[in-house]
Amino acid sequence: MFTTESVFKDLRLQVNEGEVLSILGASGSGKTTLLKVIAGLEAEDEGDIRWKGKRMNKMMPQDREIIYLYQEPLLFPHLNVFENVAFGLRLRKVQEKEINRRVEHVLTSLGIESHARKSPEQLSGGQKQRVAFGRALIIQPKMILLDEPFGALDHDTRRQMQQLLRQILENEKMTAIFVTHDIKEAIQMGNRIGKMERGNLHIYPSLKAFVEDPGSGAQEEGRFWKNLL
Amino acid sequence: MWSRTIKNKSWLWLTVVLTAGPIVLGIGYAFAYSFGLTGLLNDGFTIEHWQKTITYTPFWKSLFFSFVIAILTVFIACSLALGIALRFRHIWKQHQALLYLPLTIPSIVMAFFVFQLLSKAGFLSRLLNRIGITSGIEGFPDLVNDNYGLGILFAHICMATPFFSILFLQVYQNERIQLFNQLSATLGASKMDRLRKVVLPIILQKSFPAIILYFIFSFGSYEIPLLLGSQSPQMISVFTIQKLQRYNLADIPIAYVSCIIYSIFIAAIVILSSRLLMYQQMKKG
Amino acid sequence: MKRSISISIIGFIAFFPILLLAFLSLSEQWMFPNILPDRLASGPWKLLLTGKSELLYSLLLSVGISLLVAVVVTIFSFFASRQIAYSPIGKKILWLTYFPYVFAPVLLGAILQYYFIRYGMSGKISGVLLGQFFITFPYGIIFFISFWNARIRSFEDLVSTLGGNPFQKYKQVLFPIARPAISLVFFQTFLISWFDYGLTMLIGIGQVQTLPIKVFQYVNSANMNHAAAASLLLILPPVILLWINKKYVLTRWQM
Repeated sequence: MFTTESVFKDLRLQVNEGEVLSILGASGSGKTTLLKVIAGLEAEDEGDIRWKGKRMNKMMPQDREIIYLYQEPLLFPHLNVFENVAFGLRLRKVQEKEINRRVEHVLTSLGIESHARKSPEQLSGGQKQRVAFGRALIIQPKMILLDEPFGALDHDTRRQMQQLLRQILENEKMTAIFVTHDIKEAIQMGNRIGKMERGNLHIYPSLKAFVEDPGSGAQEEGRFWKNLL
Repeated sequence: MWSRTIKNKSWLWLTVVLTAGPIVLGIGYAFAYSFGLTGLLNDGFTIEHWQKTITYTPFWKSLFFSFVIAILTVFIACSLALGIALRFRHIWKQHQALLYLPLTIPSIVMAFFVFQLLSKAGFLSRLLNRIGITSGIEGFPDLVNDNYGLGILFAHICMATPFFSILFLQVYQNERIQLFNQLSATLGASKMDRLRKVVLPIILQKSFPAIILYFIFSFGSYEIPLLLGSQSPQMISVFTIQKLQRYNLADIPIAYVSCIIYSIFIAAIVILSSRLLMYQQMKKG
Repeated sequence: MKRSISISIIGFIAFFPILLLAFLSLSEQWMFPNILPDRLASGPWKLLLTGKSELLYSLLLSVGISLLVAVVVTIFSFFASRQIAYSPIGKKILWLTYFPYVFAPVLLGAILQYYFIRYGMSGKISGVLLGQFFITFPYGIIFFISFWNARIRSFEDLVSTLGGNPFQKYKQVLFPIARPAISLVFFQTFLISWFDYGLTMLIGIGQVQTLPIKVFQYVNSANMNHAAAASLLLILPPVILLWINKKYVLTRWQM
């Protein structure tokens, strides 16, 4: 991406520890860029990124402890499921016994312990996403940024994954930003909701405010189902 | 945007130096020599070398000859390769090694082999002699070191055909041409139609870069015409090196003029074909 | 049935050159009009095996030179192509690499000869190494460029956010994933160097006696059985590589 247009300006965002912020946005709204800037994968021209008050603009992505998860699970093709999940731990030179314990624990909580020795190409879309989550969660990052993780999944798998992820994020008291273009998903996954449109982000103070705002799309959706029924 | 990660651009500049460097330095020297600015027997700027070369018939014969050999090589080899690829599509999986084997033979060895095969005292001559079609060494026609470059052409085709066969087979698979073939059949296209409007266009379009590259390589071929060619006409590389290395020092500038004209020709082909490719891409939208 | 006959014919055609060369290399005398050699002798092969042969020296020299060129070019082009793929001016630089790629090696040697002589590399192995580097480096870049795609870039990002430093990134992820591509570039640059005659001849002025030089020497001195033996040695590595993995042999540099 070598454009010189401004993707967004004057954007203000605050996420509270332990909460999941849903951001609703269509493609082209700048949501991916926003996440990548937070993770340090793209450079901001100006602005502040702070964690607990400390500025982290100059920090390299590997030091920020913020994980950016793509829509595609991106499992390492040369490693099996176990090794994929253990990857972050091995980077940090964790002891073998400890790795085994924690990986088994994560695999079990994600329901994929029976696939531990399989290679990525043998897994279904939903299973791959679980491995990708496991790989991210196991190193207990400060924050996880999820960029439409369920976009490529079929309806049922998607519902399953939404429930699973919501559960895990709550259990681990994980801080996360969840980006999606699906209204229902945004409402289900987040404690708070924001909407991003062509570079402008508006965060609603409450779910009620979101529903009541005619521009958010919630009412349109409601009308659709009402008319049908 | 990888502005954060690619702070260190050292490999980039290294690449520029190591790829453009030799070409620029080499062509620069060739220009200097050809205009009399440097080199043996040269004393100052002159355009006489250029005049001499441009009016020198063997030079143009050589260029033309190289062009014809290259075109014929690519044309004939591609035709044969298409035939092989399409006819033997189904069985190639098991017998692929057969096509790859000729690729292990470089041009020097191929030239030597073709010489042993097609020369007047060569294997083919002996075979035909034994059967009674020809009689003795003189009864066999001049196929190598001849004035038509038959031996050269034969050797080039022997090398090009397996290469293109494999290429076309790969393209067929990767572009799922079989799928489109069946699709057009359901739309009512006959076998001939499908061949002409679906199979061949896709294969040739996808192979276009490789075909151009092979043409360029054939054009500048050296080892094969060195062994199998004659004094006239010579392919351009042989012509150039001969002018460079033979006793007649006054011929050396001709070699450098030749190098420059060769470079211009090659550059023109590369630029033209990439324009053509870009135009094709744009047309598709 | 018809198909297997055609396959057999094509098979015979494919093996015929090697057969002919083998017979030639074993024939002490093979006069017209005989279809088979008059006298068989293991001449050049025996010399080779007892180590008394210049063929052995050329074989080892060629192996050494080609291995060195392959290693250096593979390393350089792997890292160079990454920066080229990831930076905005990369496309223009890629353009630059196409010219030495298509330029006939022997003619490149011709226009550079002055510099090689001037800097004392003419007739030396170092000159040949440098010359062969110039013609194989562009090939390496052009091949590796397609490796550094969006997916690989995403992997690099991923490893970073998971906490990996650049060294770990290469060791744990990039090198393992790139292994097939690296092998391919390595073996193909090996073969380009291995087969080169024209450039080596010009820069080495016949003093750097690689195997291809030897083939020509024997042919010019009408020493046919040695020429055949040298030819067979020349095609030995690619045949072995073919046996390991067909793709290694598919270079565009068969001229």
